[in-house]
Amino acid sequence: MRGTTMGKMRRFGLMLVAGSLCLGPLVALAETQIYDARTGKWVDYDKKKARQLYARNKQLPEAFRRQIVPFRTAEAPGTIIIDGNQHFLYLVQPGGQAIRYGIGVGREGFGWAGIVRVGRKAENPSWTPPAEMVARDPNAAKWAAGMPGGRPDNPLGPRALYLYVGDSDTIYRIHGTIEPWTIGLDVSSGCIRLNNEDVIDLYSRVDVGAKVIVLMQGAALYKGV
Amino acid sequence: MKRSAWNYLPLAAVATLLAAPPTQAADLAISAPNWPSGQATANILKVGIEKDFGLQVEVKPMGTMNSFVGLEAGSVDIQPEIWRPNFDELVKKYVDGKGAVTLAGKHVSAWQGLCATPAAAATFKSVADLGDPEKTKVLDTDGDGRGEIWIGAPTWLSTGIERVRAKSYGYDKNLNLVEVEEDVAMAAVDAAVATDQPMVFYCYAPHHVFQLHEIERLEEPAHDPAKWQLVSAQDPLWITKSSATTAWDAGHFQIGYATAFAKKRPEVAQFLEKVDFTPEEVTQMSYALGVERQEPLDYARKWVEQNAARVEGWGKP
Repeated sequence: MRGTTMGKMRRFGLMLVAGSLCLGPLVALAETQIYDARTGKWVDYDKKKARQLYARNKQLPEAFRRQIVPFRTAEAPGTIIIDGNQHFLYLVQPGGQAIRYGIGVGREGFGWAGIVRVGRKAENPSWTPPAEMVARDPNAAKWAAGMPGGRPDNPLGPRALYLYVGDSDTIYRIHGTIEPWTIGLDVSSGCIRLNNEDVIDLYSRVDVGAKVIVLMQGAALYKGV
Repeated sequence: MKRSAWNYLPLAAVATLLAAPPTQAADLAISAPNWPSGQATANILKVGIEKDFGLQVEVKPMGTMNSFVGLEAGSVDIQPEIWRPNFDELVKKYVDGKGAVTLAGKHVSAWQGLCATPAAAATFKSVADLGDPEKTKVLDTDGDGRGEIWIGAPTWLSTGIERVRAKSYGYDKNLNLVEVEEDVAMAAVDAAVATDQPMVFYCYAPHHVFQLHEIERLEEPAHDPAKWQLVSAQDPLWITKSSATTAWDAGHFQIGYATAFAKKRPEVAQFLEKVDFTPEEVTQMSYALGVERQEPLDYARKWVEQNAARVEGWGKP
């Protein structure tokens, strides 16, 4: 990242005009590992394994489930801290605690770190596939003009928090997912996805204007489920 | 440490300054930097001077370079924290050269260097450990196999010097040097500690991070001026041309005031000469404002009340 953080932030700034760009699922990297209690072994937590485990357990590995954790910080309650490397989103609470949610993040991370804010919130957000996705995917092309919110196949899920720099919308959102087993993986491009129950919970607790800190991060090397 | 000549003002503060309606002229103005302890000390000085001398004191949010300009021009009378050696160039210009600014005799000891979270402290005991690529792999947060190290905010003067140090020690070869705002870095420390992950980062004291977490400082060779060859930051190639292979010089900060102001209000200058904050007190101030989010002026009023006899003593001839 030598000398590039500022460059990345600049690139981020340039992308402000790019419009909504939450891509659909892409191929995951197999860099997360989880502990499989049944076999007693660490296993790659790739998309295939995640799907198998989710089908078997009907829920995410414990680390990625919503939970209250000790979290000492100088940030005020209500601040969101996104650790893409470990696939956690923290919502700071009073008393040295935070609510921790599991997240799926961009395949190559966000490519930036910095401070943004929740500029807008939406229930049942509509979804517009980006142009390159429309070009390569006939299913996406059907929705080139936008998929209405509330449909079970809407990739943004039931809630979205739109991240702004000042008064400008960035291309980044915190949203739900139609593939809950992808939480804990690097699958979408740029956006931060939570499972639907979690994004509804987060949405109910966060106000427009909330500070959002995105940590320097990238692909995951997570162990500890 | 921060404390750059280009400290930005929070937008809200700028808006406040621009929108502030004309008020009754204050008797004197104190500049307040944008870090917590500086805001606390600026307001403690305001409350103390108002109490001891019955003067009206205005606190103006301002970066260090603007503050020095204001001290010379007469729009600022007091600057509560002038960090050394970071601002030695400004001291050379305005104190030693022009004589426009006077530094109070007492100072608060400070230091800056590199720190490790508990999970990193066992592996990284000294700066030499940062030169070992096998060790620094564990600091990787973006999956490229190279670790990351936060070296400061993009606007800080110290960040360029940390880049010089990384190059001179050689750990820039196996570590990505990350420049990002301090809030992001401190939140990264919070998240690393919460999940017992290793992280190494630029640090300075007094700072509230040492009250929030168990942080260890990396050992370095003692400061040696002969091995600390910094070309002026005015030179666009100063980072390439500079070299620094020892620890930072022991630092401190002290109050500065306009020399002309001291002639006009010698009793206030005497007060400033007696102010004797300790590093522990400054850490508490940083924690109260930075972590507990106390309002600077409210905090200052409480502090002065709790230290009434001491503040009164500062005002006595």
